[in-house]
Amino acid sequence: MDPPDLGLWPTTRGLAHLWREQKQLVLVGLGCAFVYSTLSLAIPIVVQRAIDHSIAPTNGHRESLWPYLGAIVALAAIRFPVNFTRRYATSRTGIRVEWRMRELLYQAYLRYPRAFYDVHATGQVVSRATNDLYPVRYFIGWGMTQGLQSLMMIFGIAIVLFVVNAKLAAIALIAMPLVAILTYNFGRRVMPISREVQQLKADVTEAADESVVGIEMVQAFGREDDVQARFNVKASRVRDGVLRQARVEGLFLPGLLFLPSLSIAAIVYFGGTDVIDGHLTNGQFYLFYQLLLQLVWPLEALGWILSLGQRATASASRTFAWLQGIETIPEAAEPATLPDGPLGVTFENVHFSYPTGSEVLTGVDLEITPGEVVAVCGPTGAGKTSLLNLLPRFYDPDEGRVLVGNVDVSTVPIADLRTVVAVVTQRPILFSIPLRDNLTAARPDAPWEEVVAACEAAGVAHFAADLPDGYDTLIGERGVNLSGGQRQRVALARALIANARVIVLDDPMSAVDTQTERHLVTNLRPALAGRTVLIATQRLSTVEVADRAVVLDDGVVVESGKPQELLQSGALFSALFGEEVAVA
Amino acid sequence: MPKKRTGLSRLGHYLPGQRLRVAALAVCGVVMAGAPVAALLIVRDAINEAMLKRDEPRLGRDVVVYLVVMSLAYVLQTTLVRGLARVGQNIVLGLRQDLFDHLTTLSLRYFSQQKAGWIISRLTSDADALSDVLSQGLTTLVVNTLTILAAIVGLFVLDWRLGLVALVILPPTLVLGRWFQVKSHAAFLRVRETIAIMTAQIAESVAGMAIIQAFNRERAFLAEFDKANAANRETNTHAQYLNSLFFPGIEALGVVAMGSVLFVGDHLLLSGSIQVGTVTAAVFMLNMIFQPLQELSDLYGQVQSAGAAMEKITGILDTEPEIRDADGAKQLSVEGHLQFDRVTFSYGREPVLHAIEIDVPAGNCLALVGESGGGKSTTAKLVGRFYDPEEGAVRVDGHDLREVELRAYRRQLGVVLQDPFLFAGTIADNIRFARPDATDEDVADVAHAIGVDRIARRFSKGLLHEVREGGAGLSAGERQLISIARALLADPRILILDEATSNIDRPTEILIEQALDRLLRGRTSIIIAHRLATVRRADEILVLEHGRITQRGRFDDLLAAEGPFRELAAQLHGVSDSGLQSAPVTGSRPRSSASAVSSEPE
Repeated sequence: MDPPDLGLWPTTRGLAHLWREQKQLVLVGLGCAFVYSTLSLAIPIVVQRAIDHSIAPTNGHRESLWPYLGAIVALAAIRFPVNFTRRYATSRTGIRVEWRMRELLYQAYLRYPRAFYDVHATGQVVSRATNDLYPVRYFIGWGMTQGLQSLMMIFGIAIVLFVVNAKLAAIALIAMPLVAILTYNFGRRVMPISREVQQLKADVTEAADESVVGIEMVQAFGREDDVQARFNVKASRVRDGVLRQARVEGLFLPGLLFLPSLSIAAIVYFGGTDVIDGHLTNGQFYLFYQLLLQLVWPLEALGWILSLGQRATASASRTFAWLQGIETIPEAAEPATLPDGPLGVTFENVHFSYPTGSEVLTGVDLEITPGEVVAVCGPTGAGKTSLLNLLPRFYDPDEGRVLVGNVDVSTVPIADLRTVVAVVTQRPILFSIPLRDNLTAARPDAPWEEVVAACEAAGVAHFAADLPDGYDTLIGERGVNLSGGQRQRVALARALIANARVIVLDDPMSAVDTQTERHLVTNLRPALAGRTVLIATQRLSTVEVADRAVVLDDGVVVESGKPQELLQSGALFSALFGEEVAVA
Repeated sequence: MPKKRTGLSRLGHYLPGQRLRVAALAVCGVVMAGAPVAALLIVRDAINEAMLKRDEPRLGRDVVVYLVVMSLAYVLQTTLVRGLARVGQNIVLGLRQDLFDHLTTLSLRYFSQQKAGWIISRLTSDADALSDVLSQGLTTLVVNTLTILAAIVGLFVLDWRLGLVALVILPPTLVLGRWFQVKSHAAFLRVRETIAIMTAQIAESVAGMAIIQAFNRERAFLAEFDKANAANRETNTHAQYLNSLFFPGIEALGVVAMGSVLFVGDHLLLSGSIQVGTVTAAVFMLNMIFQPLQELSDLYGQVQSAGAAMEKITGILDTEPEIRDADGAKQLSVEGHLQFDRVTFSYGREPVLHAIEIDVPAGNCLALVGESGGGKSTTAKLVGRFYDPEEGAVRVDGHDLREVELRAYRRQLGVVLQDPFLFAGTIADNIRFARPDATDEDVADVAHAIGVDRIARRFSKGLLHEVREGGAGLSAGERQLISIARALLADPRILILDEATSNIDRPTEILIEQALDRLLRGRTSIIIAHRLATVRRADEILVLEHGRITQRGRFDDLLAAEGPFRELAAQLHGVSDSGLQSAPVTGSRPRSSASAVSSEPE
């Protein structure tokens, strides 16, 4: 399912494309970087002149200090807005690129098929659009401009120093490239560790998460010691990981202070002898010292940018691979249209398997007439959910066809198909929005009377009045947590409000208590009138809603008929439900 | 703990045992911060004494001393970075473990009041915030603070008047720094907030993608996402705006400071009280004040969030567990005689159970029926002592549960819930959860007895199939099967099945009942179920309505008598209109598992 990561060249092209989208900001940033570098070189030069001509005049003639001070302050005053603009424009570039990439990813997520979400944990999908983008943001937002600026500074400083004193410049600059090499190597050494630490932290999150969510099980079986021990192991691994990282940091980072001090020692010694011999002025000595200090950061930055660039391209290559490589459910080239009126549903020799296992459906043939309500029964694991999921094209069958209104679903535009097919999933999915919006999610413009009617039929009205804000109550983690049965009823109402001609209900009342179910079963039938319905269920009381029951076993339809006839047949259906009738 | 402290000072609790290391690191820090200052004093000496006086040997000596000092600084910094990381990480680890251990002792009431996500953030992002501050932040804080102090001292050593210049320029710098701290902290919080909203939006979309796609809601969700994504862009931009103002501002102030030093230095030079090397050294010394100030300002936000994180963590640590062992709690080897002695209980103000009386002899099976909200699950939870009754007592083998050692008692329970929680790991791991030392054969036997092996067959790795946390990818019925196997393997003395088979077909359920009968013969069990067939095997059935027992007795007697049970049964199967009820059950059943039924109905 996961396409291979993109190679370096296509990744770079993709990044360059995103960079070009922010051309104006990039150009402003680069322009300011140039001016900034020039000013940052000019200030020490003015100071040098102030020392040589005024503070400690070399030729005995002492000039006034004021013009120099004025020049220094003026340069600083110009540098301030330039530096502001440089930083602001540059970081905005990165922010906007990150924003764009996230937008592209999210748009792609909306198109990906269920099979994608089956094999990718939610956390992974989310972090690809959040944390994983930060290296890209910093590389494009900071790295590219800073890299060019670093080069300007390095060349500028080298030129100035060579002009002042070539021999001394050569000596002083020998050790400096080591700063860039050191930083680069540090980045390469520390990045794998820090990625590992991130992973270890994610393990801790997972351990914390499952222990907290599953606390009732942990306490019920008295297994606190086990989960504590497991958590401690994972927490200790994080500590060890961070300490490994600190060991590398301890080895490399002080070197960033130490290496320049080697160059400075060289300046003090060789520059000092030059001063003694009269080849170098006090001001020039200052200039050398100052510019060497100013050289440290651009070199360091180059090292950072190189290793950041590796991370950013790695991260971007994964992102681009997803953007380009994940196949969505194919849309027909010449789309068919669905007929008007009630729609029948047909499964023709349908075979289906998940990528991870054996075949779940092994040749299902099933014909459902328009307006018929069919209960899909069968033992746990018989393939009921898999069969239902083929209708809205969550998956496509490996073999055979699924038809709605006598049209192969793979030839209908997906949006059209999903407009006529409404689903209730086994685990009801609600969103953290008000109850009202959850209900009308499928049809935001549904008339309120219809909403109320559906809520009556699905038993939502029953509890909605008791919620703090009625239908405007916010649902979910930040709002009210509904019980499993309540969530199922909301999901059911939502499907009814969708006004779809085909409704797929996957065990829609399993968490609803018996009394409410009774109420639902009575009310549901009229609400479903005129629509074609498939209900998967384990409950006889739910089967009663249906005109016909079909029984799935080991991936094929083994029985089909009216429920009461099936009960008498003595086959699988009566094994599934017979006893319930018998005891009552 | 004699005194409760909140905030970062509480971290000191984790320092004992590391005192020596901390003291050694403090010495390292002071010496290290002093080193670059000392180095600049050497440079001054090189200019004033060697260059101006043309003393080459002295120049050589100065350079050697300079290199020695900087080498020392290198070694010390290495030690400091590693040592502080160790101290910080030990603190965080201790805190994280304490927090987790404490959490596992808190009662279900706490977990039902606090949202899971909130609690998890304390263990993860809050602990990480502390970790960041304590490992990298601590080094930055210690080194930079000491460096600034050392540089100020150094300036005074150079010349007290130059030192005064630094003191004059410092206040506006601190004001600017303070402004930035306050503003950027607020901006940082807003960034965090928008990131959280955006992440939640993405996470919710991913988790609910089936419904988004099924109902063609892509465009609406994209619009919502665009808003969150744009808000995040704006807060980030604002934070960067502040950064872009502050750091160039500090840089500009640094130049002003340098100008002032040149100005004052020039005057002092004219009066002959200092030499040019002192002025040069002073200019560089100023760098050592401004550079660390920038880094410290950056750190401030981190320290603030760490403080906030610590406060929230402390909130959990200071929560007293509601359910815990009494002094002198007994180890109980459970026989299974269960009694509720006039038990009254409420979650809030309204009682959920009113003076309930139950007596289940060891080895008997009790069924609880009644509509939801009647108090069935609450009764089951009181058996597990997840809550304590407000009045009355729950007794096992005559012992009040409040006087029994909790964990040992619970290890003799088996609990299965309707929406069972599966842990990340293989199916086998999940079955083994309550008895980690069970052999592979034990697991396979139980899996076979319950029918888990049948559903596992569709996975290529069978029982070794990796389940994601929560059991995504498995149907509700499959999760229930696995959790029943888990409870069975635990070999409990008391088994609680709370709607445990609601998503399982009846033949499979019969298979389970047979397994339970065989493997847990003579064990006490409590069954909550809505399916009549499920409760008929109980020795006693209680009908719970609004927290009161309205009817009790054996299945056939209850069904024969006028009363709520018959109403309930009628609700379930009041299907005379559809004719289902009257349909006779005939014929043999195709599955051997179901054959048990044919011998007993009617």
